[in-house]
Amino acid sequence: MIDFLRGYEDYLGGWLWEMGIASLATLQLMFVSFWLACAIGMVAALIPMARIKALNLLVKLYIGFFRGVPVLVILYWIYFALPEMGYEVLVVSSYTAAILGLGLHGGAFLAEIFRSGIESLHKGQMEAALSLGMTPAKAMAYIVLPQAIRVVLPPIANFAVGLLKETALCSIIAAPELMLRAKDLASSSFLPMHAFVMAAVFYYIMSFPLMRAVEYLEVKMGKGLRTG
Amino acid sequence: MPEFWIKMWEWWPEIFPVLLRATAMTVQVMIGALIVALILGMAVALMRISKFKLLRYPALFYTDVMRGTPALVQIFIIYFGLSDLGIEFDPVSAAIIGLGMNGAAYVGEIYRAGIEAIHRGQVEAALSLGMTPARAMRYIILPQALRLMLPPLCNYAILLVKDTAIISTIAAPEIMFEARRLVQATFMYSISGQIYLLCAGFYLALTLPLSQVAKRLEKAKERWR
Repeated sequence: MIDFLRGYEDYLGGWLWEMGIASLATLQLMFVSFWLACAIGMVAALIPMARIKALNLLVKLYIGFFRGVPVLVILYWIYFALPEMGYEVLVVSSYTAAILGLGLHGGAFLAEIFRSGIESLHKGQMEAALSLGMTPAKAMAYIVLPQAIRVVLPPIANFAVGLLKETALCSIIAAPELMLRAKDLASSSFLPMHAFVMAAVFYYIMSFPLMRAVEYLEVKMGKGLRTG
Repeated sequence: MPEFWIKMWEWWPEIFPVLLRATAMTVQVMIGALIVALILGMAVALMRISKFKLLRYPALFYTDVMRGTPALVQIFIIYFGLSDLGIEFDPVSAAIIGLGMNGAAYVGEIYRAGIEAIHRGQVEAALSLGMTPARAMRYIILPQALRLMLPPLCNYAILLVKDTAIISTIAAPEIMFEARRLVQATFMYSISGQIYLLCAGFYLALTLPLSQVAKRLEKAKERWR
């Protein structure tokens, strides 16, 4: 144990700084792709409400496909396949590819979460709003969605934890973030165990508040909610 | 667009068998990791519901760390980190151990939620009939909890299939690794789109049936109540 800690002797200061900066890049990547996923997920959840069959099918295919394949496949598609196939317009930096990939993948998951949140509300809420003379859009915005938020917040927070961990995969397409930095440091110092353990600690520090938030929200939002 | 499919057709005999073999490897790793997770998860769950803090807190810590750090980091620690300390695994066993240990945290939570969902009265009744706590767990609690656990366990299996993709980074010959190797080693850059599309197809062939099973189990759970 002591011997193991000795390994950090020469590196600790530099690594703390390097990995700290890289953690910020990870958080940034997570933040941007989170909002992209939210936007995509919201659109994909609301489209079926319009009851247009063709659009409905499209959304179903999107959700089915992106939920069923690993993020890695999507990242490879965006970063390797599209440029290699000769679509030069679609050549993007690894960072953009990471955001797009995580956003598209997360959008499919959030769409399901949003949909179940909207459907968990009693139908009477929508009917009452419509009978008061609200347009469907207004009823959605002022009556249904504010109540649905309560139901969906805990799973969204849970999704955020998953997203944070998925950003590690972006190191495979060399997007600048914590895992990539850890790999660099591991190979330049020949101390892989030390570097990856430290990366794990950094990830844990970032996910810890999120995981506690999930627990808090589950208790807080569960209060007075009809179950079963 | 037609050229895309014509090329796919031309290259089909080259790429399909390779990816099919890789899928077999993916399934193998997935089943191995599932078995490790199911067994280790039981230990984690029983420790977490134990009365003794000495058992409860380590299990809590294990679950938290495994769920709070990326599986990629864990696998790198097991494969690259441990080999640095002199413990060497081949990629496939490192993958099975890594994904299994990671899964044990999730499966443990599923077990615990299932066990805790069974009404206290059930244990009390079993104990008052003179059963030992271990027997009450074995014959009264677990058979009932199993019904509640099956749907989330099935969902976990789906996640696991998708998680196997990351072990391509430690050169375990599964779908994503073989696909990348096909593209790079044989210079088939122009058909990389077709290859990755086929990868997606193989993953969907594994996950879609599982998600149907999960849906069925979810419905069956309602009926069993």
